[in-house]
Amino acid sequence: MSGSEDEKPSKPAAGGKPMGMARFLKGAAGSSSESSDSDSEEEDESDEDEDDKSESGDDVKVTIKSAKDKRLDEMEAVGKAMDNAVKINDWVAITTEFEKLVRQVERQTNVEERVPAFYIRTLVSLEASLNAALAKEKEAKEKDSKDAKKKLNTANSRALNTMKQRVRKTSKEYEKEIQLLQTNPDEFEKQYGVQEVVQAQAAPKKKKAKTDDETLEGKAGDDEFTTVGKGGKAMHFTVESIFPNLQLIQEARGRKNTDRAEQIKILEKLLEVAVTVYQRIRILLALISARFEYNASIYSHMTTELWTSAQREVDLLISILSSNPLYSVEEITPDYDESIERNPETVGGVVRTRGSIITFVDRLDDEFNKSLQNIDPHGTDYVERLRDEKALYQTICLSQGYYENTKQEDPRSRVIMRRLEHIYSKPDAVIQALEAPLPNSTSPPSMMLSKLGSSTALIQALSTHLYKSGNTVLKYRGMLCHSYHHAFHNDIHTARDILLMSHLQEMIHSADVTTQILYNRTLVQIGLCAFRVGLIKDAQVTLQEIFSTQRVKEILAQGLHQQRHQQMTPEQEKAEKQRQLPFHMHINTELLEAAFLVSSMIIEIPLLASIESEEQKRKIVSKPFRRLLDFADRQVFTGPPESTRDHIMQASKALQEGDWERCRDLVYSIKIWGLMPEANEVKEMLASRIQEAALRTYLFTYGPHYSTLSLSMLAQTFSLSQKAVTAIVSRMIWNEELPTTSLDQSAGVIVFHHVELSRLQQLAQTLAERVGTLVEQNEKTLDQKQGGSGAWGDRAEGAKGGRKEGEQTQERNRRSDRARGGAARGARGGGRGARFAQGLGNRMTSVRT
Amino acid sequence: MAEYDLTDKTLPYLDRHLAIPILAYLTEKTVFNVDQVRAAQYELAKGTNMVDYTIGLFKELHPDEEVPAELLSKQEKMLSTYERLNLEAQAVLDVIENPEVAQSLRQDKLQNLQYLKENYNLSLEQITALYHFGQFQYSFGNYSGASDYLYHFRVLSTDNDLNLSAHWGKFASDILAGKWDVAVDELNALKELIDSRSSTTADTAALSQLHSRTWLLHWSLFVYFNHDQGRMFLLETFLNPSYLNTIQTSSPWLLRYLVAAAVLSRKTTSGGTTMTSSRVKHALKDIIKIIEVSSYQYHDPITDFLKELFLEFDFEAAQRELATAVQVVENDFFLREFASEFLDNARYLISEAYCRIHHKIDIADLSERLNLSRDEGEKWIVNLIRETKMGSDAKIDLEKNIIEINRPPLPVYQHVIEKTRGLSFRTQAIGAALEKQTAAQVPESQPGVVEPAR
Repeated sequence: MSGSEDEKPSKPAAGGKPMGMARFLKGAAGSSSESSDSDSEEEDESDEDEDDKSESGDDVKVTIKSAKDKRLDEMEAVGKAMDNAVKINDWVAITTEFEKLVRQVERQTNVEERVPAFYIRTLVSLEASLNAALAKEKEAKEKDSKDAKKKLNTANSRALNTMKQRVRKTSKEYEKEIQLLQTNPDEFEKQYGVQEVVQAQAAPKKKKAKTDDETLEGKAGDDEFTTVGKGGKAMHFTVESIFPNLQLIQEARGRKNTDRAEQIKILEKLLEVAVTVYQRIRILLALISARFEYNASIYSHMTTELWTSAQREVDLLISILSSNPLYSVEEITPDYDESIERNPETVGGVVRTRGSIITFVDRLDDEFNKSLQNIDPHGTDYVERLRDEKALYQTICLSQGYYENTKQEDPRSRVIMRRLEHIYSKPDAVIQALEAPLPNSTSPPSMMLSKLGSSTALIQALSTHLYKSGNTVLKYRGMLCHSYHHAFHNDIHTARDILLMSHLQEMIHSADVTTQILYNRTLVQIGLCAFRVGLIKDAQVTLQEIFSTQRVKEILAQGLHQQRHQQMTPEQEKAEKQRQLPFHMHINTELLEAAFLVSSMIIEIPLLASIESEEQKRKIVSKPFRRLLDFADRQVFTGPPESTRDHIMQASKALQEGDWERCRDLVYSIKIWGLMPEANEVKEMLASRIQEAALRTYLFTYGPHYSTLSLSMLAQTFSLSQKAVTAIVSRMIWNEELPTTSLDQSAGVIVFHHVELSRLQQLAQTLAERVGTLVEQNEKTLDQKQGGSGAWGDRAEGAKGGRKEGEQTQERNRRSDRARGGAARGARGGGRGARFAQGLGNRMTSVRT
Repeated sequence: MAEYDLTDKTLPYLDRHLAIPILAYLTEKTVFNVDQVRAAQYELAKGTNMVDYTIGLFKELHPDEEVPAELLSKQEKMLSTYERLNLEAQAVLDVIENPEVAQSLRQDKLQNLQYLKENYNLSLEQITALYHFGQFQYSFGNYSGASDYLYHFRVLSTDNDLNLSAHWGKFASDILAGKWDVAVDELNALKELIDSRSSTTADTAALSQLHSRTWLLHWSLFVYFNHDQGRMFLLETFLNPSYLNTIQTSSPWLLRYLVAAAVLSRKTTSGGTTMTSSRVKHALKDIIKIIEVSSYQYHDPITDFLKELFLEFDFEAAQRELATAVQVVENDFFLREFASEFLDNARYLISEAYCRIHHKIDIADLSERLNLSRDEGEKWIVNLIRETKMGSDAKIDLEKNIIEINRPPLPVYQHVIEKTRGLSFRTQAIGAALEKQTAAQVPESQPGVVEPAR
């Protein structure tokens, strides 16, 4: 274990911390002269403790343990918990545990028993680690570095101080014993050991504390299985014992009363003695699995230490495998005898061992995600944890390199997908940091940033590989990631082309939920990108899709949805929780809303102004926006704007009045723009859009009241060049938005020719329009009835008008589908899963017919 | 002008033989270094069997060097091959050209084959000889001969792959032989053939379809810009959704020809004299939309001209673009013939848009917009007014030197008529679709959805 650690030159920052601590402890203990003893004894203690536990498990049927033994066990459990807490520097936990321990010891003395030896030892070691921690604290203070990760947080340091006092007090009571332990540990051991053996007749298996240090190492695991374990009997883990031990562990795996921590410990020690490559591979496979199994519950996540060591071991395993091409780990292998040593000579060729690296990598990644989901994203812990991503990314790349060398296509694609998922949404700088150590690794993958030059090329290479792989799910996910990346880098055209060419819109409803989420994310990112580059209309249409669901957070997996009408079952809730994206992947929904509402405003306000009759008012471009605007209209008193929405609503009103400057200022003052890259350019773009929209609104609103309007006056009012004004007005005339208007070039004015319609004429027009919509409606219904092929034709027609129209058509289809999905959802009372199931059902029926 | 030249983009999608006239044209122009073009011509010709032509090119390129031996030996080899293939093919031709045989041949190819085999002992291999000979003739430049042989082969052969290849071969031969009417038919047949293969959904099929469509579009340029009605056909083909997708996916530079064709066919569309499908009528509108969405992929002065005119309404910029666009048109192999026509039509477009938007126009200003002198401008405008529908609305006021356009607003009843015009037809279409659906109870399987990913 420690050996593997040293081999890694680039130790991950966060993973290094507890390790560094341990090293530090060792040094500190050495200075107080009971170094190795206290250390080893601690270990010893925990060994004994496990020993006892397992015994108690075994002996349940045969003997009933004495009350004293139980007490001892209890105490030892507490001691162990403390040890663990010391390792992670959690002094709050230590305090409570210590409190418990003291109470237990008091009870012990009440029943006229001697203070157990391990209590004394714990005290000593505790003092040592206390000193170490204090020294470290001081050092940090002296340096006065703002380095938050080195300093303990306040709660912890307070706990540390209380501990210091308590330990000092308690040590005084046992001064004599401690003295003895420190000056003559052997003597101490003997005294206590004998006493304990004498006293503890009910537990004959309890071994004496050993006097010879070198046996300490191997003792524990052995005792568990060889019931006759006396102190002297403690055996080493030898090369010969590896396979039997592995066998035993394998058999114990998954049983109810197996002590998982114990198994891990044994395996770690086995790894240290392992000599041959084959042995190491076998042990590593077992060890990594054991680590993953440590947590039985699906919902809780692995602790960071456990994860870090697992990650290191996977690294180690991969590097062993790639430096020894004659050994391989495969999921399906011919049967072999597990209890004998194998090497290329005996097998004749490649030694195949059963196991699956890809599952390890998958699991590592999943666990990492899970832990991020569970850590409070606003704390420093989250950032600490996030640092581990680098190591994880390394592992993923390593395994990709390994699979490339061994030419295993299927796992290779899976691993590439994992890799892609880690980088697709990250800015270039982060990708660079993640990729930086790759070229020096043992089995570098073929695609690397340093080789390909840019992150876009890297992602292109990765996703192209996925396109070529046969797996459709990976293919689509690759496409989405690819598209997302382009959108993230403001390359809207490529992003949109990729998305549209995948034809994913048609089948996204039958995809699995995570892919749907990824799809939504991509859609949102494309919308944002369109907004950034100034394609307001596209942005509005794309984001509308998301906002009309009113469950933005839920469909982006960035928060749970509170449902008013129905209750989610706990299972659904749990499943939903598991799907949540870790915080650092989130797309800011407030920014999203701001982008959506502002683009809606720019489109909707001139449109509103152009509408004369109530009838036409029903044609709404953006429903959410219109709703908000109506609400704002009803408000009797409007205070100064506070939220983003307030700002935009007031800006809309200013725009309606033609006061573009106020509108612009209000939009500018929205704080959330700060989160947008290149915020200033975006603001400038918005300002020009607002000017234009204001001009259009003005013409629509006040045009009927003029017979001529001077172009230069308009240019002045809206701070536009006269040329720009002319162009805008020309476009409006050309597009028949201003039906009875023309320009007088020589006078430089707009001329309005007014036509008054009689009531009858108006009615006739309305009638004609309604008939038109009726036919349109019929056509739509027919389309839907015809199902897939209808939609196909629809799209083909749409393509005639360029891609944009096609997109809209598709989106319309999607929307109707979505509505259907929603209905099914209500009927079945299920969450997303129901929609998924329904989609599948649809597909099944279509296949059957 | 070199930056607007599309030769390097189109060449990969053309046959060697088709590329030869383009390169020959480039040697006349000064856009590129003549020697370099010559060298390219030589490289191109080396791959064909047109040995004499190649030797000629070589001599032009290296006047004082010996003709390479390989060329000479190739010439000899060619002769012998010609003899051999000719003999083989002649045997078949003799049989087919027998009037008795010609009469007894039917539609059913299998039956024909059977018949030939029984009566004249003609095997499939022998018929394939027709194909080889046709191909060979094509390779040394006897295009009309190649076209004949390939035609005969296609009538008899049942081999789909070779048939398709013969189709392409005959198409190319017809183009190079300058038989435009035949080529149009051939083109349409080929188009149908390619489109009908879309039923296969596999990835590779879609990809190969995309390839063939791209090729077809490039080859068709020869036909469309030489045939009388070519521009109309071009609009029809290029605006077909699947071909539009092809252009956007694999060859955006073809937009130039689409735009040029639309501008060129303006007269026929606005005059309404010829029968035009609805597609061509709205071509300009559609094309503007296409330009808008794909301007990030491709743009040149010709597309920019339309963009400035109809999207930005910046008449000055449009005029600027037009000036360069005309130069580009003059230098383009396909469009060179149409330079003046293009300019004319483009001017019409400008003045039409200008008149529609404006109420009073200064003649001097408009003339300037059109790159014309004042007198010319006046003549032009008078012609314009006479030719177009504006006649009754526009009047020239020479005293103030302005045109006044009084377009009375469209009466309401006209509006209503416009709105309700298509309704009955659309309703009929719905009815027909419903009937069709009930008739074909088995729903169609989902058509291929996978278009090749980039």
